[in-house]
Amino acid sequence: MSTLKTINVIHPSSAVNNIVNDASGNVAVGNTLAMGSSFKRNRIINGNMLIDQRNAGASVSTTAVTTTFFVDRWFANPTQTGKFTVQQNAGSVTPPTGFSYYLGAVSTSAYAVTAADYFYVSQSIEGYNFSDLGFGTASAKTITVSFVVYSSLTGTFAGSLRNYAGTRSYPFSYSIPVANTWTTISVTIPGDTSGTWVGSTNAGSAILFFSLGTGSTFSGTSGAWAAANYVSATGAVSVVGTSGATFYITGVQLEVGTKATPYEMQIYSDQLAQCQRYFAMTFSQGTAPANNTATTGALRGTARVINATSQIEPAANWRFPVTMRSSPTITLYSSGSGSTTAQWNNDGSTSYSANARSQFVSDSNADINNAGVVLTASVPWQIQATASAEL
Amino acid sequence: MYTNAQYLAYNGKNDGIRCDINGVTSFVPLDPANTDYANLMALVAEGKLTIAPANP
Repeated sequence: MSTLKTINVIHPSSAVNNIVNDASGNVAVGNTLAMGSSFKRNRIINGNMLIDQRNAGASVSTTAVTTTFFVDRWFANPTQTGKFTVQQNAGSVTPPTGFSYYLGAVSTSAYAVTAADYFYVSQSIEGYNFSDLGFGTASAKTITVSFVVYSSLTGTFAGSLRNYAGTRSYPFSYSIPVANTWTTISVTIPGDTSGTWVGSTNAGSAILFFSLGTGSTFSGTSGAWAAANYVSATGAVSVVGTSGATFYITGVQLEVGTKATPYEMQIYSDQLAQCQRYFAMTFSQGTAPANNTATTGALRGTARVINATSQIEPAANWRFPVTMRSSPTITLYSSGSGSTTAQWNNDGSTSYSANARSQFVSDSNADINNAGVVLTASVPWQIQATASAEL
Repeated sequence: MYTNAQYLAYNGKNDGIRCDINGVTSFVPLDPANTDYANLMALVAEGKLTIAPANP
């Protein structure tokens, strides 16, 4: 170990200092700073678990062979129903320094994982945000995944980085030595020079898994690429195997290089916009989408002659807050206080229409109208909606 | 889980699919990049789902 004590660093041919150090630890660069990686270096969206549009902090149960989203961009699709729940800040422990939120998974039973089982939390990465890493080519770049994790259990835990097709996997393991204590983890993964990885498109390219219990069929050797569908390393702790066991995680970052840099905090509005590329809603932030819970933010349309058959129906165009990854799936919700679901609500009363629908959907906007029912003209109608373009 | 799928049409041309996704009625665009649409087409190809034609 050696220390170089100097104030100025200058190239022999340079007229100005390349680097100037001061007594407070600051560094001034005289000209352009060229980095091996970049700012905006984290390929994980909402890695600090801040944005929770769908659930607004509520606990979410999981169902077999069903994709369920928790905080934005984070999801599971387990093999069994009801073995764990997920909630933003579950258990209300103090988050690690520098963070206010975490994703919390809690085991709801003591389930013995079978060979074909898998339980995890994960995030898919879009091709546009991953293709520059060159995976599947001879120039694939080494990456580092870092995160802060907390569990009521101790031992060797595991996860995996996998291509979207499920044909290339890199299982990794990490240790949580002390229960109920935040532990910072860093895993360096060599770039995969084999297999098929989606290029620079809006399709899914990779998935980062954190296992909560995985059977042998979907577990592989830690620290090696394999032509297989693995979501965990072999022999890892099973969180779902202990009733009430917890697994909390935040500060997830995936970046180029061999060094885990500090978590790249985002301006809130930037991070929300990143999430809205995959999920958007007319509800206010902080309101979980549901029928008959909120009028604030609702789309409003006055019934008028709207189509070729001269039906009178309400219609509104919803322009999404950002361009979405693809044309999204639209789900409708009644606003107001009635009992009807997913229908237009006559403003100021509990009179509902029927046959609300979405048409002409693109990645930028959608028409929300009504089919086949003549409604009262010149009266405001309202409806809530969500749009999902998730991977 | 996708059930009760039916095409929606505008001026005689299919414009989307109305279906229940995990029991919630949703509207799926005919975009191959949309995950729900890709899943629906996979189920149709496997013979596990039939999408009803649009109402006339």
